[in-house]
Amino acid sequence: MLKRHLPYLALLLALIGLPYALSLVTGEPLNKGIPLFVQGLMVQVFILAVFALSYDILMGHIGILSFGHALFFGSGAYTLGILVKYGQWSLPAAIAAVIVIAALESFVIGVLSLRVHGVYFAMVTLAFATVAFILVEATDFKQWTGAEDGLHGIPLPDAINPTIHRTEFYFLALAFAVAVFLFVRLCVDSPSGRVWAAIRENEARATSIGYNTLVFKVQATIVSGVLAALAGALNAMWNLSATPLTMDVSTTINALLMAIIGGSGTLIGPMLGAGVLQLLGYLLNLWLGSVWQLVFGLIYILLVLFVPYGIVGTWRARGVPWRAAWRERLRQWTGRSKVS
Amino acid sequence: MNIVNRYRNPIFTLLLLLIVAALMFNGMSASTATSIVLSGVTLAALYFLVASGVSLIFGLMDVLNFAHGSLFMFGAYAGWTFYTNPRLIFNSAPLLLLFAAGLLLNPLTARFVALPRWMRWLAGLAALALALVAARGFPIDRLVAMGMTMTGKVIPTELAQEPIETMLLRCGWALLAGIVLSAAVAARSVEHIQESARRTLGMVIGLTILGLAILLARNVAEQFILQTENNWRFLMAIAVGAGTGGILGALMEWSLIRPLYSRPIYQILLTLGLTFVFDQVVRFIWGPAGAFMEIPSWFSTQGKECPSPDLFAWFSQHCDSIAFFGRPFPSYRLFIILAGVVMLVGIGLLLQRTRLGMIIRAGVQDSEMVEALGINVRRIFTLVFAIGAGLAGLGGVVAAPFLGVYPGMAPEFLLQAFIVIVIGGLGSIPGAAVGALLVGLARAYGDHIVLAGIQLPGMSEAISGSPAIARASTVLIMAIVLFIKPTGIFGKKE
Amino acid sequence: MSNILEVDSIHTFIGQFHILEGVSLSVPEGSITALLGRNGAGKTTTLKSIIGLRPPREGHVRFEGAEIRGRRPYDIAALGIGYVPENRAIFRALTVEENLKIAERKKNDLAQRGEMIFGLFPDLKRFIKLPAGQLSGGQQQMLAIARALVPENRLLLIDEPSEGLAPILIEQLMESIRTLSAHTTILLVEQNFRMASQLAAYYYLLDDGKSIQHGAMKELVNDRATIQRYLGAA
Repeated sequence: MLKRHLPYLALLLALIGLPYALSLVTGEPLNKGIPLFVQGLMVQVFILAVFALSYDILMGHIGILSFGHALFFGSGAYTLGILVKYGQWSLPAAIAAVIVIAALESFVIGVLSLRVHGVYFAMVTLAFATVAFILVEATDFKQWTGAEDGLHGIPLPDAINPTIHRTEFYFLALAFAVAVFLFVRLCVDSPSGRVWAAIRENEARATSIGYNTLVFKVQATIVSGVLAALAGALNAMWNLSATPLTMDVSTTINALLMAIIGGSGTLIGPMLGAGVLQLLGYLLNLWLGSVWQLVFGLIYILLVLFVPYGIVGTWRARGVPWRAAWRERLRQWTGRSKVS
Repeated sequence: MNIVNRYRNPIFTLLLLLIVAALMFNGMSASTATSIVLSGVTLAALYFLVASGVSLIFGLMDVLNFAHGSLFMFGAYAGWTFYTNPRLIFNSAPLLLLFAAGLLLNPLTARFVALPRWMRWLAGLAALALALVAARGFPIDRLVAMGMTMTGKVIPTELAQEPIETMLLRCGWALLAGIVLSAAVAARSVEHIQESARRTLGMVIGLTILGLAILLARNVAEQFILQTENNWRFLMAIAVGAGTGGILGALMEWSLIRPLYSRPIYQILLTLGLTFVFDQVVRFIWGPAGAFMEIPSWFSTQGKECPSPDLFAWFSQHCDSIAFFGRPFPSYRLFIILAGVVMLVGIGLLLQRTRLGMIIRAGVQDSEMVEALGINVRRIFTLVFAIGAGLAGLGGVVAAPFLGVYPGMAPEFLLQAFIVIVIGGLGSIPGAAVGALLVGLARAYGDHIVLAGIQLPGMSEAISGSPAIARASTVLIMAIVLFIKPTGIFGKKE
Repeated sequence: MSNILEVDSIHTFIGQFHILEGVSLSVPEGSITALLGRNGAGKTTTLKSIIGLRPPREGHVRFEGAEIRGRRPYDIAALGIGYVPENRAIFRALTVEENLKIAERKKNDLAQRGEMIFGLFPDLKRFIKLPAGQLSGGQQQMLAIARALVPENRLLLIDEPSEGLAPILIEQLMESIRTLSAHTTILLVEQNFRMASQLAAYYYLLDDGKSIQHGAMKELVNDRATIQRYLGAA
């Protein structure tokens, strides 16, 4: 029992100790120089880790391929920003609103889009997300969204303002990531989670056993959408802004990439993927400047071609017939067979 | 009766549409209504050019190409570059051709070199390094500098181009990179080396000569193109755009999609990633800002007899617009409509009247069986991918004088194409046509409403909005179709 | 008499499942050879391995003396092998005529052999313009066989032609196949033992992905024990 959890605990302890260790090594205080910078980097990792994990609930645990996940992330960011800045809502109330709005959105989109399967679903969700992107960039709502410039200057209480209290924010983000991890794990281990897995392995069989798979798929979509929106809200708090980029397809691609790098369907995998991707992105940006995005795209393609199981997936695949399980899952995802 | 039953859904849709149209155009003047319809059909033609390719490809090989909007965009950029300032093409084509020549040596390299796995990775990296050497310092920004849109950045061709010796050196590196890469991927194709050595060599030498010929003729060719009358130049640009799309499509299928037929989900993950790569490549080469493209003179003559009173008068006058019910309508848009209709008919004839079409229709049902009859299905797949991508590229060039070229056109057209496809039914060409018409008309109507503003009873002033609202609102049609008939109007039951 | 096809201990995998674990057989030219065995014995996979749709990982497949293992299906078929899959995999959206035309390897294949084909299957001529999906089950089976006759094939691989057909149609079908065997060699997979025994001159028996017994059909017909054991009912 302990042995199984040991790596997780070690990772958690390392993350808790990281700011202090850096401060000790560099001799700089927590809120200056390298410790400050690394905390900032890690906050983004935590936010993206939650986002990647929320994405992987769909891709890795129930076997739905969504290309519209940025919609939830962005809507979380904008909801929080607009309510706090223009509505003068308190932060907890705004977060509650983020949850409610995301749940509603994912319910509507889930019910509409889940009427179609496989690649169709990917296509439809991408369409919805693109429309959301067009709308936040539209000049019509400029007074709220800031159109192409985005919404800036979200007022946050000083106690958690990331520019003033970086370390507090670091622990807030870390606590958030850990909480979401535990929550998703709970979900996956719950009776519903087992039905999700059944749907992933073979939806037809799950239906024939008597489950209304649509209900479970909508359920997973809502959980995933709400978590993504929360990640988006935290992202808005971190940047004190919400920009159209949060709604962009590249944000969805990011989530996908993190899930694939880490290993889809492995819980911790997508979160590790977020870390790898973020650090890699930072280094590439330093090294190559603006071309790094292009390189990033090429890396994505190489990964899809050559390392489809991700870090954790490949690690666990030693010996175990994981590939067979994967193949089965892939067949599920395609959702369409030629033989009529 | 049988026919009524078979086309029940389309007939039902048609009736519904007539009612909706009657409501929409109620109280509108004939000139306004005509102008909306014509604008709608114009957009429909463009949507169709993208959507039909996606549908064709999906129907045959079950690959949903998310990069199709990007091919449209790339075609537009290629055609525009050719039309306005082709020197980039003449300076980069030789490099690409020589790289391709090296890569095509594959069957021969495979015969002599069989590298172990880790060596292949190394060879891949070496090829990358060589390609970087070949491209190092290549003056892209000087080559793309466009006089027409970016004043002050016009650079005379002689200064923009590198001297021929430097280019020859680059060609050499590119060829070498291709050869090394061919060794890196050799093992993959080792089981079906059937092309004779002579044919391979012939192709390689042919490409090399072609590349060098383009390089040597670059100044003459550029002069020739820029001095060609702009109408013919535009038609050539369309061919270039379609060709670029087709070649890119074929390359994509051959190099990236084909290895993944056993992992279908990864194919679409890959094509989604490609949209990102294409976007970055376009920004890298042409910059993030868009540009306008000149409308060829057949469709842009101005004078006191303009707008032409009717279509027949236009044939002699070539006015920039034609009057319909007293309201001028840009004549170039009629050309877009014509292009859409020609392609629709072309696809129909291809599918129904040719052997290739027969094979495609058979392959949609069972491509294994087609192969067992002795038909090289892989080649057909590549060909169909190229055709679909070529349609998109053609659409891009046709759209460019109307909408300009800009990086955002890829997601924009991908979105509308997807909405079209969801409405019409994935894999159906008639579905794509009907869906395109619907979305196009809805957009045009939406544009009209949004600009004119809506005044509902009880409101003091009309609400108006930006075109973005109209662009976004087409998704509502998709939502309705999803709700009523998820498989689309022409879709089959799952 | 020479063997037109020789299969030498092939091993075929589907995914990670080892389906064929050493199947060997020889098909003598100018006769019908039946491939017998229980459901799941690997008969269909054997045919697919020969035509290349399920390429074997090991072993040899020789057609007219030349190795064809590892070549692509279209390439193998073009050598002169016709494949008639189970479940009548005709192209339902194509007309009967198109179903035949698509199989052409030379421009006038159908024109040349049309008379022979329509002589065997007169129904097809009557419905030539009809979408193949609208044919009856028996007619679809005829079409599937006819399609394999359009190009000049020297070997036909026919998989379960009698499956799902009414007895009277089976009689007709047997007649057609017998006529065919005058022109080409046939390797026939057939569950219906009565049909197989009346048509074939030779047999190969598969069990669990291995070829376990072969010989002249005449001998097997009298071997009640073997029939019981490997084919279930007699």
